Amino acid sequence: MGLTAYIFRRLIYGIILLAGVLVLNFFLIHAAPGDPAETIAGAMGGATAEILSAIRAAYGLDKPLLTQLAIYLGRVAHGDLGMSYYFNQPVIGLIAARVGPTILLVFAAQLIAITVGVVMGVLAARKPSGPLSAVITVLSTVGYAAPVFWTGIMLIILFASIIPIFPVDGMTSARFSGGPAAHAADVLYHLALPAFTLAIIFLAQYSRLSRASMIDVLGADYVRTARAKGVSETRVVFRHALRNAVLPIITVAGIQFGNLISGALLVESVFNWPGMGRLAFDSVLRRDYPTLLGILFFAALMVIIANLLTDLSYRFADPRIRTGGR
Amino acid sequence: MSAVEPAATGHAPKAVSPLKEAWTVYRRNTPAIFGALLLLAIVVFVIYGTFFYQGDPYEIVWAPLTPPGAEATVPFGTDNLGRDLLRGLLKGGGPTLAVGAAAAVITLVIGISFGGIAGYFGGWIDDLLMRITEFFQVLPALLFAMVVITLFSPSTITMAIAIGVVLWPQTARLTRAEFLRIRELEYVMAARSIGARNGRIMWKVILPNALPPLIVSATLTVGVAILFQAGLSFLGLDDPNTMSWGLMIGANRQYILDAWWPVTFPGIAIFLTVFAVSLVGDGLNDAFNPKLRER
Amino acid sequence: MKLTRRDILGSAGAALLAPTFAFEAQATDVPKGGTMVMMSTQVPRHLNPAVQSGIATAVPGTQIFASPLRYDADWKPHPYLAESWKVADDGLSVTLGLVKGAKFHDGKPITSEDVKFSIETIKAHHPFKTMFEPVSSVEARDEHTAVIHLAHPHPALLLCLSGALCPIIPKHVFGDGQDITNHPANSNPVGSGPFKIAEFKAGQQIVLEKNPDFFIEGRPYLDKIVIRIVPDLSSVILAIEGGQADFLPFLAESQSIIRLRKSDRLGVTDKGYAAVGPINWLAFNTAKAPLDNKAVRQAIGYAIDRNFITKALLRGIAKQQHSPIIETSPFFNPKIPSYGLDLNKANAMLDQAGHKKGPDGMRFKLTIDSIPGGGEEQQGIAQYLKSQLKKAGIDIEVRASPDFPTWAKRISNYDFDLTMDEVYNWGDPVIGVHRTYLSSNIRKGVIWSNTQQYRNPKVDELLSNAAVEMDPAKRKAFYDEFQTIVGDDLPIYWVNALPYHTIYDKRLGNIPESIWGSMQSMDEVYWKKA
Repeated sequence: MGLTAYIFRRLIYGIILLAGVLVLNFFLIHAAPGDPAETIAGAMGGATAEILSAIRAAYGLDKPLLTQLAIYLGRVAHGDLGMSYYFNQPVIGLIAARVGPTILLVFAAQLIAITVGVVMGVLAARKPSGPLSAVITVLSTVGYAAPVFWTGIMLIILFASIIPIFPVDGMTSARFSGGPAAHAADVLYHLALPAFTLAIIFLAQYSRLSRASMIDVLGADYVRTARAKGVSETRVVFRHALRNAVLPIITVAGIQFGNLISGALLVESVFNWPGMGRLAFDSVLRRDYPTLLGILFFAALMVIIANLLTDLSYRFADPRIRTGGR
Repeated sequence: MSAVEPAATGHAPKAVSPLKEAWTVYRRNTPAIFGALLLLAIVVFVIYGTFFYQGDPYEIVWAPLTPPGAEATVPFGTDNLGRDLLRGLLKGGGPTLAVGAAAAVITLVIGISFGGIAGYFGGWIDDLLMRITEFFQVLPALLFAMVVITLFSPSTITMAIAIGVVLWPQTARLTRAEFLRIRELEYVMAARSIGARNGRIMWKVILPNALPPLIVSATLTVGVAILFQAGLSFLGLDDPNTMSWGLMIGANRQYILDAWWPVTFPGIAIFLTVFAVSLVGDGLNDAFNPKLRER
Repeated sequence: MKLTRRDILGSAGAALLAPTFAFEAQATDVPKGGTMVMMSTQVPRHLNPAVQSGIATAVPGTQIFASPLRYDADWKPHPYLAESWKVADDGLSVTLGLVKGAKFHDGKPITSEDVKFSIETIKAHHPFKTMFEPVSSVEARDEHTAVIHLAHPHPALLLCLSGALCPIIPKHVFGDGQDITNHPANSNPVGSGPFKIAEFKAGQQIVLEKNPDFFIEGRPYLDKIVIRIVPDLSSVILAIEGGQADFLPFLAESQSIIRLRKSDRLGVTDKGYAAVGPINWLAFNTAKAPLDNKAVRQAIGYAIDRNFITKALLRGIAKQQHSPIIETSPFFNPKIPSYGLDLNKANAMLDQAGHKKGPDGMRFKLTIDSIPGGGEEQQGIAQYLKSQLKKAGIDIEVRASPDFPTWAKRISNYDFDLTMDEVYNWGDPVIGVHRTYLSSNIRKGVIWSNTQQYRNPKVDELLSNAAVEMDPAKRKAFYDEFQTIVGDDLPIYWVNALPYHTIYDKRLGNIPESIWGSMQSMDEVYWKKA
């Protein structure tokens, strides 16, 4: 089907999915034990019956559940995600400040994981039964099996305390002053450890996948033909094989986006990275339901967009799909 | 993806031979054997700790934060309250593995049901079930598990349910793919033509042949579930009345600058378990899928 | 530390000089400028202490807003926004004379109308109801004179006019009719204090900048204070150790304190917390059997080893606490009974109370709760009690709450047997102590009220008398007797004082060490030029 029609269909589908996510989370949160009015009152420092009913009226909590849901959905359609119970600021503002850092972290991690993973896989594929290949396989399993927060803590102690090259936490330095270029450098400096920590888990997967994929592709007919024609090994690997071997990695990378966000939650927690994951965790503890709903919504949105982009890039990369053949 | 292609005669293959053939391959795979032995050792350790060992991991036995090796009665050292780390490791393995196994079972049950029914019936049932599956896939797993646990109070059971609920989509997709493929095979058509009921066909005929990749997936799910549990414990969302390895890490997280051992030893325990499980899973994967093995 | 009658009645005319307040000699050549980076693990909801209690709001709030009075390290009041104050002889009114020419951050003058508005707002919305409850009205007599009229004498009033308890907020901003507890200006306030708000990133960072028009000439000395909010304590310790931060107040975690004492660059002090009066205690639900029996509570007291808790669990950093009133308070009674460890006595008392040991060695089962995230002081001690009370035949089940609201709801609805808790004195017993022991403050659903449901008419009488007694000696006598009685009734077993310490870069001068510490303006802090 044509590209525009495809995108359009996916978008509609995405919107329905998002609405479903909102409804599910709304009911889940309201089905849980605990009265939001009491939570808000508690955050203010104390509750009496009058304060509680005032809060209920102010936040519309005295209306029937379905009405609340309808109101909420209507507001979301206008871009209003409500007010945080804890901070008494618009949720959309709180999230907007945090989306950037999370996206930055996730993309940086994905970039590191894919590049290093592919390189490691290619190196391993050249001699599949050699020692390098075995080492890479073991290393990748190790990276996958170690709890990510543990790795993060170890890295902080190693590279921020014992050998203090990197900062301990946060995205920017407290004493920072300077222009945009210096600011960007400061952020990158803080990004190094967290992005690397998050990348390790996926690096494991991608390197293993790229190794298997390269092995497959290197044995294919057209590669053998190229070799027979006298094309140099490097050209064979990089021009002919790599492009096709990378396809499965793109697919998996796209599918892993949801897991990246989950991993980002733990990494943000360890490194105090000011992203959505950290805010989500804090909101859970504070029972700040509007913020939580907003974050779940945003996370789902990000995953849907990532899926769409992955599928689109897949279509472009694989010529068979592009020409419309089945 | 089964190791056995149906013979040209279209007879149903024997259920035994794919396992036998898989075992032959597995046997020769060194990391896989190592993984299996390691896993066995861990399971023995955990069984001993859960059913035979009598010590109370909550009892305060020595000075807080005693380093390992400093005192003979506490060879692994003590945590921030003076509790014996070795006792914690012995008693904590059971709940950790239990959550992993329970979550994997939940994942399998939901995943196979959804995927099997979708793959077998196709059509609008397939569409509907797959939409629901994708819907759950879109929710970031850890985040959603965290929400569920906090809302309904942390306990071993809530944890297993929360983790199972977020991990099943992958199993569902896998099952569906298998069912779709096997459904078209001749022996299944044969079974239908003689009037066997759908239920019988799905669970007695198709499922046993779809098992190999599902077993691999289940093994890996156990590993992921254990890592999840560790992550949730680290965040403090666990049951404080049940000693688990994740709980040990979470409770001693803030002392890590001065005492590496209360966090490192349970971390290593988790790592070894997940490592062993991954090796076994990989080995099974290679054993059932000779085509993906290296040339 | 003894307050004289003169201190309380005011310094009529004595303080018409420019308000000085330094501990060190007032030098005009104090180096000015520089940024101080402060770390905090607490997350403030907003920056207006008039409608929100707690340290997290108080520290930034007292830099942004000024109060009528300030206190030094000896519990003596000093002029601040009020350059003079006079308590009437009958104790029923207090007249404040405001500094002339003081302005809010938007340039509008600070007048008695604002003082009136502030006190009325605090009285209506602040969770600490006892602070201004006796205030019947505030009269804005002229632009710079405010008279506070009281329904009865209120010896605690002067303390309530200091620190975070009485920020003077602008009526022209907050009095616009919007609900002040949700007012948008709470996160971006127009203040009256030495620092203005430059940035408030909710949950992450607060940036305060020098107020160039502050009514005290030449102050503040610092250009900027940056407060970084990092909930993970290990990261905070690493940051201050590594020089990425300069100041860390309210650190109570023993291991961190020991570690930071080793730093050459950093100073560690426990001064500045005299008024906070933070007590870590074990609360009993006195309305629920078997804890409704005083003997059972006392037996539990004899079974607990405070020595082990403070010396081993808390590594010798914290002091034991035997009383509802903190040691640093002028009203502390050192002669209160203290329940040293005596397991034999504990077991004997429980036997006598009719709770024999069952076949498993246990007499009865109790649950214990603790504030989530409370670390060694809360979860640590709860776990210790599980292990220790077993020796007295009490089976303890430790309950965890996933978050603060869940715990607060449990306790305030009396759904508990035992719970660990941390409650502050807040300077005068009227503010922070009465609420725990008055039977009139048994309010279901409100955390940190009398959640133990303790009732003793004699105690009610003593506390009511102490609240209105202007003579310090007579007041102390009431509180002494009060402490003796509750020390016997034991609705609460006080374990230790929270060992709050301040960690600071030694190159900083005039570290806040008054009774309010960093919950009072830091306009005198400066960087010593190396």
